[in-house]
Amino acid sequence: MFRGAIVAAAILTLGSAASVAVHSSQAPAPPREVTAGSAGIPADTPLSPRNANYRIRARLDPEARTITGEEVITWRNVAAVPAATLQFHLYYNAWRNTRSTWMRERMLAGHTALAHRPAADWGWIDVTKMQLAGEEGADDLLSRARFIAPDDGNREDRTVLEVPLERPVQPGDTIEIAIGWTSRVPRTFARTGAIGHFFFIAQWFPKIGVLEDTGWNTHQFHAATEFFADFGVYDVQLDVPRGWVVGATGRELSRTDEGDRSVHRYYQADVHDFAWTTSPDYVERRARFEHPTLPAVDMRLLLQPEHAAQADRHFAATRAALRSYGEWFGAYPYGHVTIVDPAWQSGAGGMEYPTLFTAGTRWLAPRHATQPESVTIHEAGHQFWYGIVATNEVEHAWLDEGLNTYSTARVMEEAFYPQYYSKRYFGGFIPWVFRGFEQTREVDGNRMTAFRPVAKYDDQSTPTWRYWPASASAITYNKTALWLHTLERMLGWETLQRILSTYFQRYAFRHPKPEDFFAVANEVSGQDLTWFFDQVHRSSNVFDYAVDVLRSEPAVDRGHLGASEGYEVRGSTYRTTVVVRRLGEAQFPVDLLVRFENGEAQRWAWDGRDRWRAFETETPARAVSAEVDPERILVLDVNRTNNSVTLKPSGAAAARKWSLAWLIWVQDHLLTYGFFL
Amino acid sequence: MGAGAAFREGVRRVNGAPAVVAGMAAVTLLVALPLSLALRGMIQAHLGRSLAAETAAGTANYPWWQEFMSSAGGLAATLTSSITGFGAVLENLGGLLDNLPLATTIADVTAAWMVIWTFLSGGVIDRLARGRRTRAQGFFAACGVHFWRLLRLGMVAWLVYAFLFGRVHGWIFDEAYSRLTADLTVERTAFALRVAGYLLFASLLVVFALIFDYARIRIVVEDRRSALGAIAASLRFLRRHPGRVVRLSGLNGLALLVLLSLYAAFAPTVPRDGLALWIALAFGQGYIIGRHYLKLVGYASSAALFQATMAHASYTAAPVTVWPDSPAAERIVNAESVGLR
Repeated sequence: MFRGAIVAAAILTLGSAASVAVHSSQAPAPPREVTAGSAGIPADTPLSPRNANYRIRARLDPEARTITGEEVITWRNVAAVPAATLQFHLYYNAWRNTRSTWMRERMLAGHTALAHRPAADWGWIDVTKMQLAGEEGADDLLSRARFIAPDDGNREDRTVLEVPLERPVQPGDTIEIAIGWTSRVPRTFARTGAIGHFFFIAQWFPKIGVLEDTGWNTHQFHAATEFFADFGVYDVQLDVPRGWVVGATGRELSRTDEGDRSVHRYYQADVHDFAWTTSPDYVERRARFEHPTLPAVDMRLLLQPEHAAQADRHFAATRAALRSYGEWFGAYPYGHVTIVDPAWQSGAGGMEYPTLFTAGTRWLAPRHATQPESVTIHEAGHQFWYGIVATNEVEHAWLDEGLNTYSTARVMEEAFYPQYYSKRYFGGFIPWVFRGFEQTREVDGNRMTAFRPVAKYDDQSTPTWRYWPASASAITYNKTALWLHTLERMLGWETLQRILSTYFQRYAFRHPKPEDFFAVANEVSGQDLTWFFDQVHRSSNVFDYAVDVLRSEPAVDRGHLGASEGYEVRGSTYRTTVVVRRLGEAQFPVDLLVRFENGEAQRWAWDGRDRWRAFETETPARAVSAEVDPERILVLDVNRTNNSVTLKPSGAAAARKWSLAWLIWVQDHLLTYGFFL
Repeated sequence: MGAGAAFREGVRRVNGAPAVVAGMAAVTLLVALPLSLALRGMIQAHLGRSLAAETAAGTANYPWWQEFMSSAGGLAATLTSSITGFGAVLENLGGLLDNLPLATTIADVTAAWMVIWTFLSGGVIDRLARGRRTRAQGFFAACGVHFWRLLRLGMVAWLVYAFLFGRVHGWIFDEAYSRLTADLTVERTAFALRVAGYLLFASLLVVFALIFDYARIRIVVEDRRSALGAIAASLRFLRRHPGRVVRLSGLNGLALLVLLSLYAAFAPTVPRDGLALWIALAFGQGYIIGRHYLKLVGYASSAALFQATMAHASYTAAPVTVWPDSPAAERIVNAESVGLR
């Protein structure tokens, strides 16, 4: 099955040997082993298992757009099973050609333009050396390496490399693997790459997979998913042109100038990835987050010069995230964070890495139009949901992206609302804010509009990498935010906040799974919420409740009613009938609220299971309106308009108003195109 | 006659023809109104008897709007939030300059409106060129006389504009702009290049618009039958008077800019209900009438500029004019009154 991959591996090995010869004069020296407390490294108490530790030295040649690197991985088997093989991610190979799984899935989702990128835009990574340190000397692993495709069997995919070991690594044992590689930095794909003198380098080094009790969890690189790795200590030396600003995961320990080059050494413990950026153009700003009960955080902002005036907005958004997430879920423990404002057209914006993230703004960014605040909060928030609670983003991306989208919307509402609909004109450069169109957390914060048309596309419990690529983000981000918001209104914020903070505290620096989250939710709420998670997570059903009938007429009974009553009994009350329907497949208990002309109201609870239910009441006053789910507990309801009926409708007035506003647009349109007459 | 005088003369002539301004605005309104009524039905059907209508009537109800758009197709899909207030202007101007595709219904209506306008423009230019009332009979007779000539001119113009939008726009923005900005990392620089592209493309549009404008005027004023001959005559005129033509078109452009600025400053994005709605609507229609007014000032001032430069206007003996003599003949009669003799 993998014969082609084996041949490819052999070719790779040969090619790599040549590549080593070519680059030997520039190859970085192998990294020295360092220990905490030495060489300026802070001595600290481990927060995480630290079982995948990296010492890396890499040299960037910006003109050739290549990275030459060497690393030593110190890996401890924390699983209950021995490791007979080792598996490594080589993410950069996703952009080697159009045959990779990543490219195939992107094209499947309609992004066919990617296939037409010029030759210089592609990227790849070639492993040139792989040795296992042993008592009898180094064991060359590279000759035995082969590419595997555990997810889809795609023989052309080179994003996972497997190496059989002569002797399995027993549980608890530690090994050291020395790896050399060269890579070509692509024009940005998946938010890593280069444009001009801007480099954002992520998923760039050979990275060991995660060994679980069931075996290796090393997925190929998929178009709709992100990453999964074990925690460790990263000690990284980055060799870049002198004068270039560097930002990276961790703190900078030292900077050594060597001729026209500088070596920046970064160190960070208890993280599961390392990303960095460099450019001669960055403007650097610093600020500090301080809070009465939370640890202080040094914020370093690397801005594009044309965005220098927006520094305060970036800091304000980051502060809002650190404060709210810290108060709601738990403290940010690292003490520092780097905010990167990516270059225009770099495609690197809006991505999270441990202690570093990319935001994203525009030269003209009016206030109250979500940018850059929303993306900054979201990516800063990922330091908690992803960075600290390190879920498997390939299998359960909703656990970090969804929780984070929900949290982002909550922070935005608290700190930055009102926000308005805005649109960009003239090639996307000129923004215009429509102040009458105020955004809401329910719809805009939770991204309901993008979710609605694809609501049925995937069952959320499907492993994320198997989602339909074009709608994966809506199922991952939007649906989770919508159902968490529903849960918040169902249980109350205090309860949900306790659920989230308990989950955060319990699984910080671990890899929780969906069942862990559900168990915490049940435990903290004191309820069995399985029925809810069955609806929202283990199903692709949609929620749609509607009021179908509202009738309120004088109560009259006719017919053979009995001798004492005669043929017709006309009372002094009004008989109100309401029919409520469940139009979607999903079920949720909802209330029905009927309001009457005298200001009174009646409320009924409905379990929401049947397809329809009729409610009838007799009251002294005529009904005015009926509304199902009046408090909008069910934020997931995809059609809110049909949730109510009134006997005094304003539809005609609204239609008149907006059709007349539209009329002016059409007239203006005719006159604009009348330029030609 | 200088550009300023021609502009003032254009304003004077349009001020003297309020019925033409009102009539043309009414035509635009009548073309757009059926679509507006159709859309009104769609909005009403979607809102039904929902309580959502109350907020949609009072304010904007953006959540409802998004729900409506998610199920909208065809005409309804054009009811984006960005068509409100000054957004309408940006939407249309941006759409034109970026060559964005039009919804089929809107494209059809635009084409129909252009044909109607082409028919009426013969009468409008005739009326404004004469600078006196021509009555309905005279107006529509001029429409009829010049329609097929103007339509032929319009077809030539369509070919030119189709080439400009179909090819030249792509060369400027899809090829040159894309190539120049492919590796740019500074948005401001890209914006400057985009503006340069717009200026180049808009200049081409203006140059051809001027050629066709003066061809249109010469067809009507000189009773020309040949569209190609009128284009050639227009080119001769532009070659002889480039400075005045450019200055006049600059003045017309400036007037439009002032009107757009006023609309941008005062147009409500979301009109309130009740009286406020009708005030907002009146303001919007005032803006639309202003656009018509300025368009007619453009016709009238261009006609005035052309008429002032007619060689025979200052020395030919004034004929006794009887309709349907051309406006050129009337111009000779009237030359004395405007100081050309």
